[in-house]
Amino acid sequence: MPLIKSQTAEPVTEEARKSARDCAGLVAQLADANPTARRWAARDLADCPNAAAVLLDHLKREPEVSVREVILTTLTALGDETAVAGLVDCLRSEDAALRNEAIEAMRQLPDAMAPIMRGLLADQDPDVRIFAVNILESLCHPDVETWLIEVIDCDPHVNVCGTAVDLLGEVGSMQARESLLRLKARFANEPYIRFAADLALERLRDA
Amino acid sequence: MKRILIVDDAATVRLYHREILETANYAVEEAMNGIEALEKALQSPFDLYLVDINMPKLDGYGFLRELRGQDLPQAPAIMISTEAQANDEQRAYIAGANIYLIKPVKPDRLLTQVRLLLGDVYR
Amino acid sequence: MPDPVPVDPTISDADFQKFREFFYRKTGIQFDLSKRYFVDKRLVERIEATGTGSFRGYFTLLRFQVNGEELQALTNLMTVNETYFFREEYQFQCLVNSVLPEIVARKTDRRPVRLWVMPSSSGEEPYSIAIYLLERWAGIHHWDVEIIASDIDTRILAQARQGLYSTRSVQHLPARYLQQYFERRADGYQICDDLRQSVEFTRVNLAERTDTRPYRDFDVIFCRNLLIYFDDVSRKTATETFYDILKPGSFIFLGHSESMSRSSSLYKVRKFPEAIVYQRPLEER
Repeated sequence: MPLIKSQTAEPVTEEARKSARDCAGLVAQLADANPTARRWAARDLADCPNAAAVLLDHLKREPEVSVREVILTTLTALGDETAVAGLVDCLRSEDAALRNEAIEAMRQLPDAMAPIMRGLLADQDPDVRIFAVNILESLCHPDVETWLIEVIDCDPHVNVCGTAVDLLGEVGSMQARESLLRLKARFANEPYIRFAADLALERLRDA
Repeated sequence: MKRILIVDDAATVRLYHREILETANYAVEEAMNGIEALEKALQSPFDLYLVDINMPKLDGYGFLRELRGQDLPQAPAIMISTEAQANDEQRAYIAGANIYLIKPVKPDRLLTQVRLLLGDVYR
Repeated sequence: MPDPVPVDPTISDADFQKFREFFYRKTGIQFDLSKRYFVDKRLVERIEATGTGSFRGYFTLLRFQVNGEELQALTNLMTVNETYFFREEYQFQCLVNSVLPEIVARKTDRRPVRLWVMPSSSGEEPYSIAIYLLERWAGIHHWDVEIIASDIDTRILAQARQGLYSTRSVQHLPARYLQQYFERRADGYQICDDLRQSVEFTRVNLAERTDTRPYRDFDVIFCRNLLIYFDDVSRKTATETFYDILKPGSFIFLGHSESMSRSSSLYKVRKFPEAIVYQRPLEER
């Protein structure tokens, strides 16, 4: 039978690390012409002090999407104040892909997001408020329902409320009932809000 | 029956659009982001795509660009956004959308546009 | 002592819809109404096992648990994770009819074609691929092929190296293959020595940068029915890792109920006659 050969006893290339993985070296490699080197630098920087600031600074200039993805993943793993502030800034970006990557990253950081969540939900820009509600979609935090109820009680923008009511269908309890009824009355001429509020109401069941 | 793919990350929005379209006798499938939509389109192309802009992994612009680059029978696409900025609309057309609508969409407006794009006479 | 949680494991229509949407968002798996009984039965099983008492309590656990363990347990129950020879054979057909021809057509050197199977599990999959290549790919006469199979679990790797399988596990194999590549044992069938030598088994933790760093320049990765059990972050990290393990333009196969749409936007979706496969783009900036 024709052989399928393993060329070497050790099947994988044991390539020597090109440069020392010291932090200064990693920062320099973020500017390497080769995207593979940049991705590895962005991964390994997770172990360096002040990494979030360095990565955020580079994120704005990085043209290659695969490197940006790794930077976002590392920022998620760091999850410190600097990282979160940088992710929040991404919400104001014109770049839809970057915004969505940042939203996904922030969903993984319930403890870091909780203290700033109300501020984001009250942002002047309705788009930022919608993105803030999007963050709540998968956020593992006990206050998610409370925040959503506050949104549908107070937010004047139909699409911010529309996004919030979608999530209340999943996480809402009987606590949300009165607010959902008020929301329906407030946007009586919007078939979508009526549809979404009815759907959410149907799914509430007392704990 | 003509087939429509709804691409949106919000379950309620998908359900809302589904009910409107099914009432008008269209066959509806759903995808929750651009990649899943592309997978479904490649497996079996649709007659029309109803696409949200903001979605995780691959957004509406990215999906339409990819779709338009495939060797598939090209079908019309309606882009839906929550944002009302003018450059969103421009970008939607550049990416390959035929119609741009602002959320929330009223049922009769959606149906009018869908029928128009599919060349269906009013039933 | 806390009061016992009152048990009400009924699943209403609204509960089912809510669960269905959540599970679809997380895993990409869509249950239609015909699966209602199947889904309800497993939900009730987990409501009882977790002591959450009701759908609402259970759903809250599922939705808000930070480590995602319960979602993993439930996904295990909702999917068939049995492994056997030639499972999802259409993917192997795609490998030999479409993917490998494209790979060798692009090759500019004589170095071997490299395949990585992750997870190796008990070995059915890497051995299936080896058999498939020998039997169904003409290119095997012109190209050397390396198959490396890895797993985090050392016990299962030992089992894979031994290559001993039940009658049930080999039931989809043509009799001739069984005769050619296996030896009959009292308790089943064992992979013949030649074939066992041709697959390299290694231990790898996909989440460890130091484990995966040496793996690179692969032409094909098979990662079937693994990512679906990962949480969102691990899944994203894993697909980013695969990206650097693959050569530009190379391919990754996922399980039949898995979709890259829940993991990463880095890959190109490629439709071949037999299957959808994901490709690392040829060019980057």
